[in-house]
Amino acid sequence: MKMRKYIEVAKVYFKTQFAWRADVLFNMIFTISRILFAYLLWRMVFSGKEVVSGFTFHGMLSYYIVSSFLSQLEMSGGISGEICQRIRNGAFSKYMILPVSMEGYFVAMEAGTVLFYLAFDLIAAFLWIFIFRIEFAFVTDGAVLLCAFCLILLGLFFMVQFAYYLGILTLKYQGIETFLMIKNNLMALATGTIVPLALFPEAVVRAMRALPFYYVTYLPSMLLTGKCREEAVVGIGIMTVWCLVMQILIRRTWAKYSRKYDGVGI
Amino acid sequence: MAMLFLHSFVGITVVIILQCRLCGGIRKEYVCQSRQMGAGMNTTNIIEIKNLTKVYKRYVKKEGVGGSIASLFRRKYTEKKAVSGLDLCIGRGEFVGLIGPNGAGKTTLIKMLTGIIAPTSGEISVLGYYPNEMKNAFKKQYAVVMGQKSQLFFELTVNDILRLFKEIYEIPEADFQRNKAYFTELFGVRELMDVQVRTLSLGERMKMELIVALLHDPGVLFLDEPTIGLDVVASAQIRKFLKEINEEKRTTILLTSHYMEDIRTLCGRCVVLNHGIKIYDGKTEELFGEEEPAAVMERLYGKTEREETGNRKEDTEAGTNNPMRPAGSKSGKDEKGACENEDA
Repeated sequence: MKMRKYIEVAKVYFKTQFAWRADVLFNMIFTISRILFAYLLWRMVFSGKEVVSGFTFHGMLSYYIVSSFLSQLEMSGGISGEICQRIRNGAFSKYMILPVSMEGYFVAMEAGTVLFYLAFDLIAAFLWIFIFRIEFAFVTDGAVLLCAFCLILLGLFFMVQFAYYLGILTLKYQGIETFLMIKNNLMALATGTIVPLALFPEAVVRAMRALPFYYVTYLPSMLLTGKCREEAVVGIGIMTVWCLVMQILIRRTWAKYSRKYDGVGI
Repeated sequence: MAMLFLHSFVGITVVIILQCRLCGGIRKEYVCQSRQMGAGMNTTNIIEIKNLTKVYKRYVKKEGVGGSIASLFRRKYTEKKAVSGLDLCIGRGEFVGLIGPNGAGKTTLIKMLTGIIAPTSGEISVLGYYPNEMKNAFKKQYAVVMGQKSQLFFELTVNDILRLFKEIYEIPEADFQRNKAYFTELFGVRELMDVQVRTLSLGERMKMELIVALLHDPGVLFLDEPTIGLDVVASAQIRKFLKEINEEKRTTILLTSHYMEDIRTLCGRCVVLNHGIKIYDGKTEELFGEEEPAAVMERLYGKTEREETGNRKEDTEAGTNNPMRPAGSKSGKDEKGACENEDA
């Protein structure tokens, strides 16, 4: 019975996505154009070469398709903004008065939104594998597949927790733009989007691996394309610890600062 | 690998222990507040408030760039007492009007009663709960409709929203169908149930807000200016529905409104606030009598302005600045004492 309310919240947000047809269309175009650019780019890089940094051309495209698929599923960024805006304009009470766990509500909200885009992103990924006749490198080991699946769930859950945590920091700091900027940069750095991780000194890479962001999209993508198997179990352990730490931070922050919420207006 | 597992295990254990201790600490604090409430309060009332005060801290800055730069280094705050030493009791099934000028503390009081904000001091009990504890069991027993803030999802249809609230409030299917049929009939909105909320008129949307709020049969309904912005016909309809709900379902209603017609038509009892102080608590007909509402308000608000000025002067002369002291306490307990209303 308790879970049904969260399933209904997820369903509501799933249904809400259908209201915005242009968003759906642009999201699909964006996914397709990203993969097209990646295809052209890596075709040039691989011209005359069989292997680059341990990746074959098809292996690299497989990695790119999986990682961009996972990146697009990570849509928690909006949660911080929604909470921040509502706390600042006094409309956060919309969530406060509902007999649900607010964090659970946002997790369900994210799940509903992600499920909607999951369908479209899957279609886009399959279309490109078929059109470009990519010899898709996908892991065949059941245990690694299971680990990758667990990591994806933990990673998405952590990102919602983190977004929620940053959102409720508005109670204390009023503005959280700086925190969001730091989060985005840290995430880009830890996942190798700004500079490939291979270019960093070993100590820095080790430090990155202690952060959760490495395990959100990068490691699951590598696992699903048959690489980094030895990091799978460690990754799950580290992500579990991060999720628990984040849960404590959320509880403590809410307990300490919820009294600061004034709902705007006398 | 083994070391990493060990580290993870130890980390998780520490985290769980810390969490349990933290939750225990918070629970203890709330229990103390509840016990404090239970000690001297009458359990037959739905709402009981004693010496309730809410002080807001406001950031002030001198105008201009210089003021902005200076505020980076040194921030100045002033305190605004929105509710001051308020005593109030409301019995089951009462329809109480809460009136006062802008900034009187009406919305602050509603926010404290619903647990959205915490009081600065004093005692408060709604349906036997300390509201700011925000227990789900408490949240299931009340509803709040704020005229200027919507609970609806604009992209969805009303039917979708009702289904969501059915699950959130864990309403049994039979009750849900019965209430849905009752309210759609009462509000005359059957043909609007499959329409997207964003396409509804303001009056229609307010009816939907009320249906959503009443779907779970709340024991107490807080209405903060529900007729704001509505035309005469829509306001009259809303008033008619509220009256029927109060009479049929015995729902306790606390209504704030600037429209005296709302208060005179609906509320048997009226509480007037000004500068956070209760200046009247009694029968609505006795408050208005034959006088025009504007004249009544002028008489009441003018009186408090004079008392407020007097109190501030006394504070200054005595050199005291105690925010816990109920300002204008003399006028704060006028026609009735705390928790002595006739209906309780």
